[in-house]
Amino acid sequence: MKAAVFHGPGQPLSIEEIQIDEPREHEVLVRTVATGVCHSDLHFVEGLWPHPTPAVLGHEAAGIVERVGSEVTYLKAGDHVISCPSVFCGRCKECITGHPYRCNNRPAIRRAKGDKPRLSKNGAMIRQFSDLSTYAEKMLLHENALVKIRDDMPLDRAALIGCGVTTGVGAALNTARIEPGSTVAVFGAGGIGLSAIQGARIAGAAMIIAVDMFEHKLATAKRFGATHTVDASSSDPVKAIQDLTDGGVDYSFEAIGLKKAAEQCFDALAPGGTATVIGMIPVGQKVEIDGPKLLTERRIQGSLMGSNRFRIDMPRYIDFYLQGRLNLDDMISRRGKLEDVNEAFRAMKAGEVSRTVLMFD
Amino acid sequence: MKAAVFYGPKQPLVIEDVEIDQPRDREVLVRTVASGVCHSDLHFVDGYYTFPVPAVLGHEAAGIVEEVGKAVDYLKPGDHVIACLSVFCGYCDDCMSGHLNRCTNRAATQRRKGDKPRLSIKGQLMRQFADLSTYAEKMLVHENALVKIGNDMPLDRAALIGCGVTTGVGAVLNTARIEPGSTVAVFGCGGVGLAAIQGARIAGARMIIAVDQFESKLALAKRLGATHTIDASHTDAVKAIRELASPGQSSDRGGVDYAFEAVGLKKLAEESFECIKPGGTATIIGMIPVGQKVELDGTKFLTERKIQGTNMGSNRFRVDMLRYIDFYQQGRLNLDDMITRRGKLEDVNEAFRAMKAGEVARTVLMFD
Repeated sequence: MKAAVFHGPGQPLSIEEIQIDEPREHEVLVRTVATGVCHSDLHFVEGLWPHPTPAVLGHEAAGIVERVGSEVTYLKAGDHVISCPSVFCGRCKECITGHPYRCNNRPAIRRAKGDKPRLSKNGAMIRQFSDLSTYAEKMLLHENALVKIRDDMPLDRAALIGCGVTTGVGAALNTARIEPGSTVAVFGAGGIGLSAIQGARIAGAAMIIAVDMFEHKLATAKRFGATHTVDASSSDPVKAIQDLTDGGVDYSFEAIGLKKAAEQCFDALAPGGTATVIGMIPVGQKVEIDGPKLLTERRIQGSLMGSNRFRIDMPRYIDFYLQGRLNLDDMISRRGKLEDVNEAFRAMKAGEVSRTVLMFD
Repeated sequence: MKAAVFYGPKQPLVIEDVEIDQPRDREVLVRTVASGVCHSDLHFVDGYYTFPVPAVLGHEAAGIVEEVGKAVDYLKPGDHVIACLSVFCGYCDDCMSGHLNRCTNRAATQRRKGDKPRLSIKGQLMRQFADLSTYAEKMLVHENALVKIGNDMPLDRAALIGCGVTTGVGAVLNTARIEPGSTVAVFGCGGVGLAAIQGARIAGARMIIAVDQFESKLALAKRLGATHTIDASHTDAVKAIRELASPGQSSDRGGVDYAFEAVGLKKLAEESFECIKPGGTATIIGMIPVGQKVELDGTKFLTERKIQGTNMGSNRFRVDMLRYIDFYQQGRLNLDDMITRRGKLEDVNEAFRAMKAGEVARTVLMFD
């Protein structure tokens, strides 16, 4: 099958023919229909986060089940599915206390070391990224990487729910648990930020302030539910937020992965407010927060994959979409083929797109 | 009346005669019976935080009502009370949503600018610290700075509840809301840290790791509920906590569910964030000096670690303090052993010295 292979930081992905194995007991072979190009892949391509090579990147996809392993009862061939990086073992402490996305027993859902790898090329192992590897025509996964969805959900929009939407909406609904009437600021109006904005709108936030450096992204943010926008290229976002809210917001979200934005998120809070860092801050960087501000009960917390229980959350988000409450249509800026993946990275870096979705035939 | 006056950082407090006014509408005049010497006063004396001078410091006290203003019906002369610096207006957004400790309308509980001041010296304004000023024979405060308590509660131990105990126990019960069975680490075993340890014990933590640099304080921590102790003067506390709480786990997975910083040091705030497990919560109780930044490893946010501040144990003190008194009287909250020394108002500077030297958990100043 065709896949986009990562050979190391700073190099474009190369489209190559690689081999994919047959599903074993709890594994499922899925034909990829659509995969989103998400910012966290770019972190690895740029070398801000390390990953062994060669590997097939990509972790946001939807598709159709082709074959299932002998022990799989949850799915059958022909089922529509979304894949999710929050593969869960279902029996570790995190899984049994409602935090499957923090599963600490991931080896249980992989093939054992020394086993035939799921992906290979000419007999040599190709690494699977996030236990998914969606930049490929097919995916071979543990069944706990998948949620079955309704057939009337378009798979290109379903793909977005696989990571970006779940991460952003879930950060607002599950991690921060914002209340109706709250004031919210979202730093970064890319795919994740727009999702956080939509999460805030769905949860009934009274004021949603979008912060970005690009005017066209702020215009998009307004369409998704932002009530106010702040152009951080020409104004101090902390001061602007304080002015809009009489001193600070109840909740802020960092949806980029920048130390400075994380710090601004904390500074823009009202006493008792909560900053939630969604973005992946580069390894080795320290977020510096003002010590005395802690005295007024400000809080900063991380969020991983929107604190999802994806088999519960994703069908809800699909319902929201089909009810017209979650706008996914406008989140897809472009559609392309697998071969367009490097161009999609470039456009993302240039701030031209909120999401490119790669479509397979 | 006699009071200990603060004239500026790094100078000893001076015992002087200070005038105190009569209570107006919602004010109450209280005879101070006991006042604890708390670390946050020292922050001002050391100059880490600033406060206008001259001022009477002190913010942890219990006493007996002498006179009430004409609009006060909550209290009458003779009532025993604890003073609390979380004076609340009762009608701002924070007060109305259950966060009176964050009242944004403190001015409503103070005298107006230009009015005759509550405290003065030779006709000049004497600043009131935390709207209380407890290092004095009497206190003139808004009624919403006071909670009425039972007459059977000893007032020296009641005084501790006024700040340190409420701050430490409340950080655990109200701010962090730890669950029974949790694992907990507490950095610093002074009055506030010991109170946090007791809060963790009351809430049913299964492991309570006390961290300090003084063996004597660790021994007291054990008596008050710590299940494990770490002497940070010769051990890497973060590593030791991880090994105790999650033996065999890698550093990115292991750690405690909850950590508390009860000193006010940047380094310990960072260590409390380092030593929690994925999904864990670090609560910073200590007052970190103005201008200092707490540096957090950005990648740790990806595993949903959380760091938060707490102010005065997120108290609703008229509810909480009565509970803490019940805990004391039931033998569940040990206040007796938290008082290391008793002294007179004149001993306040010596009490600061002993606190800095790590010799005491708490000195309580007693008035006749």
